[in-house]
Amino acid sequence: MTTGALTGLKVADFSWVGAGPRSTKDLADNGATVVKIESRRRLDLGRRSPPFAGGDRRNHDASVFFAQTNTSKKSVTINLGDPRGVEVAKRLVAWSDVVVENFGPGYMDRIGLDWATLQQVRPGIILASVSVAGRSGPLAGFRGYGNSAAAYSGHCDMTGWPGSDPHMPPFAYGDVVAPMMLTVAILSALEQRDRTGEGCHVDVSQIEAMVHVAGDLFAEMPQEKPANSDPVMAPHGVYPCAGEEAWIAIACEDDAQWWALCGVLGAGDLSGRWPDAAARHTAGEELDAALSVLTTAQDRDALEASLVAAGVPAGAVLDGKGLSEHPALNAAGHFVTVDHPVIGAAKMPAPPYTFSATPGTVGPSPCLGADNAEVFAEVGLTETEIAALTEEGVLA
Amino acid sequence: MTLLSGSRVVVLADHLADFAGSMLARLGAEVVLAGASELTAPRAAAWHKGMTRSAAPLAELLDGADVLLDDRRTDARKGIDALAAGYSRLVHVVVTGWPEGQGTRPVTDLTLMAQSGLMTVIGTPDRPPLRLPGEQAYALTAIQTATAALMGLRARRMTGSGQRIAVSALQSAALANYREAVMYEHTGRIGHRQGNMLVRGKSGVRQIWPCADGYVTWSIIDNPGMMRALVRVMQAEDAAGELAEIDWDAILVADTDQAVIERWQGVVEAFFVRHDRQTLAQWSLEHGWGLSPIMRLSEVPDSPQMQARGMFEDGLPGPLFAVHPGGAA
Repeated sequence: MTTGALTGLKVADFSWVGAGPRSTKDLADNGATVVKIESRRRLDLGRRSPPFAGGDRRNHDASVFFAQTNTSKKSVTINLGDPRGVEVAKRLVAWSDVVVENFGPGYMDRIGLDWATLQQVRPGIILASVSVAGRSGPLAGFRGYGNSAAAYSGHCDMTGWPGSDPHMPPFAYGDVVAPMMLTVAILSALEQRDRTGEGCHVDVSQIEAMVHVAGDLFAEMPQEKPANSDPVMAPHGVYPCAGEEAWIAIACEDDAQWWALCGVLGAGDLSGRWPDAAARHTAGEELDAALSVLTTAQDRDALEASLVAAGVPAGAVLDGKGLSEHPALNAAGHFVTVDHPVIGAAKMPAPPYTFSATPGTVGPSPCLGADNAEVFAEVGLTETEIAALTEEGVLA
Repeated sequence: MTLLSGSRVVVLADHLADFAGSMLARLGAEVVLAGASELTAPRAAAWHKGMTRSAAPLAELLDGADVLLDDRRTDARKGIDALAAGYSRLVHVVVTGWPEGQGTRPVTDLTLMAQSGLMTVIGTPDRPPLRLPGEQAYALTAIQTATAALMGLRARRMTGSGQRIAVSALQSAALANYREAVMYEHTGRIGHRQGNMLVRGKSGVRQIWPCADGYVTWSIIDNPGMMRALVRVMQAEDAAGELAEIDWDAILVADTDQAVIERWQGVVEAFFVRHDRQTLAQWSLEHGWGLSPIMRLSEVPDSPQMQARGMFEDGLPGPLFAVHPGGAA
C-alpha cells in the first residue's frame, strides 16, 4: 500500500494566514512534500492567532490556529527582502512542482519571482495564486479579507432574516471555500501537466469561490433573504428545545417524513391540517410556531434520536463543545491527535475523505524554520553556505 | 477550460455530488449524469451545468470511465460496489451523509449545517440559529468530492490502479468550522450569536455600516497602517474628529474599552453615511482600507470585476477560476 495519494509531489509554499495554507494542508496531509517558506522578520500572522497552547501568545510555535492550518508541512525561513534570499527561494522553485502564494498584489513580481521567471527556473511549473478578487480585473489590486469576499459575492446581502440588514457571521467563509477551490485548481493543473507537459498559472479569487457555492441563489435570484427556509421542503427550520441555547434543525423532504415527524411529536392533528408540501409552505410561520410549541419542552438529543429513528432528517444545532465531542466525527477520525513539540498532544482536523489504497497521514505543523538544514541541503546548499547565510540574516 | 480534457466521469447524484460533477465538467472533463434525484429547475441549472444526461446502462457508461461519483445520501444503488470493483482503473468516489462505518441517517443541507457548529454563531441572540445562504453543506461536500476524485486520478498515475474513496458530508461541513471546536478545546470558550458585532477579547467592533446608498463592511482592527489610511482621507474631508489624534500603533482593539470604541465608531459612521458605496470602495482600493461595498445579489453578475473576469455565463457562474497560460492578465 502506498502512503498518500500525492506522494512525490513537491510544493514550495509561500502562502500565509488562512487562504493559501488551508489548501497546502490538503496536499501535505495526502503525501505531498510541502515546504512552507516563512520569515522571522515577517511572521505568518497565523502564528500570532489565538488560541495559544498554555496561553503563551509570545511563542510563535504555540498557536493552535496555525497548527491546525499547517499540518504535515515543513518550514524554512528565508528573508525575501534580501536578493540572496530570493536566489535561495529560486532553488526551491527549481525543486518544486507547484508554487503557491497569496501575497498582496504585485509582491511576487517586485521580489523577482514573477511568472516568467518561475517558468525559466522550472519549466512546467504550476503557479497557484489565491487572492480576494483575483489577479486580473479592476479589483486586482484590492487588499481585503475573507469578509470582503462575502460582501462582493452577495453572501452578506443574502445572510440574515428577511427584512434585516446584511449580516456578516464572525468567521471568514471566503477563507474556507477559496482554499478548497485552490486545491481543485492545483490538482487539475497537475492533471493537465501530466498529460501535456505544460504548466500554467491558476488564479483563484475568494469572491468567485463564494459565488460558485451560491450558484443555486444566482439561479433563483430571490428577492428576499431565504434565512432557514427552502423552496421545496417544509417544515425546514430550527426549533427550540428544553434548556438554554438548545435547538434542533428539522427538514421534511416529503409527506412521509412529515407524517413521521407528527407521529414522533404526537401531533396527528397537524398532519391532517397541512397534508402536503404546498399547504405547509403556505402555512409558513404558523407551521413553525406550531412545531416550536411541540419541541420546546423536549430534550434536544432525545428528540433528535427519535426523529432520526423515524427517518426524519434532524440534527441538533451544535456549538464548539458539541462539535469537538461529536461521537461520529471522533469515531471516523475527523480529529486526529497529533504530538507537537510545543503544543503537545492536540486534536487536528483530518481530510473528509478516506482512500482505500493510498491513505493520507496527518502530522504536526512545523516549528518556525525547523527544516532549514534538511531542505536547504536538499536544494544544494553546503553546510558552510547555510551557516553563513543564517549568520547574515538571509535564512532567517 | 480544458485542464481535464480527455477525462471521463460518470455521476450518480443525490444532492451531495451534483456540483462535483459540474465542477469536473467545467474543468474540461466529459461528464455523464447517469442518475439524479429531483431538483428545482433553478437548482438543476446551477448544479448540473455542463453535464450530459444519459439513460444508458451503468455498466456501459463505466466502460472506459475514469471516475464514478457515487452519491449515497439516501441510498446505495444495488450491486454498485461489485460493479465498480470490476473496473480496475476506475476511481470510485462514494459520498455519504454520515461517515461510512458510523451508521446511516437521513441528512439534508440544513441538518448537516446544524451539526457543523457554524449555525450557532450565525444570526442574532434573540432569534434561532441561522444557516448560511444557499446549500453550503452540499456545496462543501461537492468540492471535497471533486478534490477526492482528482487525488484519485493523481494516485492512479503513480500506482496504475483506481481505488475506492469514501467522502463524508458531515466531515466536509464540520471542516469548514475552523474556529469553534479549537477555541473550546484550548480556552473553554463557546461562541454564540452576536449579530454583526465581531467580538474579540473584552470588546466588539461593528462589521456592517450604512452608507448613502446601502451598506459597506469594514471594522476597526489592529492594523495601524490601514487605520491611518482611513483617517487621512477623513481629515481631508474634515470628518476625522478625535480619530486624527490617536496613535494607532499604541492601540490594541481587544484591550480597548467598549465605550471608547463606540465613540470612535460614531465618528466613522457619520463619515460613511455621507458617501455612497462606489466612492467608499474607490477610496478603499486606492488607500488600502480593507473596506468593501455590500453588493446586492442581483448586482453581482454584472459587476465590473465579474464582467472583466468572464465569471458569469447566461446569468450563472461559469469558470471556477482563471488560468493564465501566459501569466496574469
